[in-house]
Amino acid sequence: MIQILLNTDPISEGYVILITGLLIVFGALVILALFFNFGLPVMLYVYKIITKGKDKKISEIKVKGDTGFTGEISAVIGASVHMYLSEQHDHESAILTIKQVKKTYSPWSSKIYGIQNRL
Amino acid sequence: MKKLIIIFSVLSLLIFIRPVLGLGANNQVMETTTVSNTQVQTPDEESVLDGAFKGIKTFYNYTGFANATSGHIIMIIVGIIFIYLGIKYDYEPLLLIPIGIGVIIGNIPFVAGNQTGIYETGSVLNYLYFGVVKGVYPPLIFLGIGAMTDFSSLIANPKLMLLGGAAQIGVFATFLGALYLGFNLPEAGAIGIIGGADGPTAIFLSSKLANGINVLADGTTVKNLIGPIAIAAYSYMALVPVIQPPLMRLLISKEDRKIKMKPPRAVTQKEKMIFPVVALILTLFISPSALPLLGMLFFGNLLKESGRTERLAETARTKLIDIVTILLGVTVGASTQADIFITKDSMLIFGLGAISFVIATCGGLLFAKFMNLFLKDGNKINPLIGAAGVSAVPDSARVVHTEGLKSDPSNYLLMHAMAPNVSGVIGSAIAAGIILSFLG
Repeated sequence: MIQILLNTDPISEGYVILITGLLIVFGALVILALFFNFGLPVMLYVYKIITKGKDKKISEIKVKGDTGFTGEISAVIGASVHMYLSEQHDHESAILTIKQVKKTYSPWSSKIYGIQNRL
Repeated sequence: MKKLIIIFSVLSLLIFIRPVLGLGANNQVMETTTVSNTQVQTPDEESVLDGAFKGIKTFYNYTGFANATSGHIIMIIVGIIFIYLGIKYDYEPLLLIPIGIGVIIGNIPFVAGNQTGIYETGSVLNYLYFGVVKGVYPPLIFLGIGAMTDFSSLIANPKLMLLGGAAQIGVFATFLGALYLGFNLPEAGAIGIIGGADGPTAIFLSSKLANGINVLADGTTVKNLIGPIAIAAYSYMALVPVIQPPLMRLLISKEDRKIKMKPPRAVTQKEKMIFPVVALILTLFISPSALPLLGMLFFGNLLKESGRTERLAETARTKLIDIVTILLGVTVGASTQADIFITKDSMLIFGLGAISFVIATCGGLLFAKFMNLFLKDGNKINPLIGAAGVSAVPDSARVVHTEGLKSDPSNYLLMHAMAPNVSGVIGSAIAAGIILSFLG
């Protein structure tokens, strides 16, 4: 690596890095995209087949009823629930009592040890 | 008036008490003066006054007023501007305010040698700066970002991932630009990553490449550019709402801006759990040098999506990232000590940083238009979301959203823009890994 860097001028080395770098970044993201486009559904399908017998009793929610249910609707529901919850107050007793504070001895607030004490 | 008199009397008291007690750094000087005084037989009063003035003079030499240079003053004003921008215009206040105050902290003039400054070994600030220099903070920030980010829009529409790659052209174009301006390869690589619009990544890469320690093949030492690069990256990230909208209006036609995208499909929890694991393995097999960044990012995301580690995810995305952001902001700000920061290189880096943001944004926008050529009518993407491909999470997605709303008040692009936005984070981390593996 060092040899290559020494023998070529930085600009041409820069172009090499530019091209390979862009290609690799794109390549990585393309592979990711391809995987999630095609690989993942296959994986999930296989998983479904493998576990078919086990969770048969749990029926999935029918997708038909959910066709009109978009992310926007769920956002509205979420927002309204949030607004409803955030307007709640906890009920307090409204009776104010003054409790006497019992002062216990603490060396931190001690008047025995002042700055003048030399131990 | 009353205050003035009190201050004056306290000061004069201090002056008269000081020689009596014989305190002060210049004890030796005092002794010699008294010795000479006895020889010359001058009245005692004057020697006391003399010593007092000398004491004040030494004290004055230790104050900021004596040591201030124009550079310090400029940087302090810059710090105040950062704080002002953060508070008044709400440009990333979580970053600009710590950095701004850090800039002021770092530019208080002091006498070197007392373990005060951030670049003096043994000073407290130097220990905190260690996390920046060794690249400790960036992966921790990425952990928090991972625990915050919802990748579901990306999983629902994987082709948007390409936009995050397109915006990385800013990184490599800036890299080339820096080479042409005379920076050497590692420095240019560190400068280029500003175009990734990702503060932690920029700090990570510059701490590995342009740290002032590495020695090149021809025997020269690389310059320490962590401060300027981090400041440039963070300040341009904060300025995304200023930089991006004009470019969007310039490159994207009115009709295109009104394109409504299909709402993304619902993503199952299973897919969300698989994503971090698979993406971790795939991306890091391709670019292993990005391990600290992407490893932590996807680890944080798995904490969030697994459903069993909510406590850890909660800590990572709130307390932990807050703590690290505080330390990172202040120390990066303080690293801009004027005598090290104000150089021609820093100015060049700032110029290159601005250009890289412009190129990255244009790259994303144009690539989105290019993708539209291949997509069917119902499936077209709104080219505005290409601008979110520069990372700057979540600011650039928000900018896209508001720009979309300006053209069509019923067009909500935020969810769609988050997809290229988070893939921009992944893309710039991969790019950093590639540059690191080439030049590290």
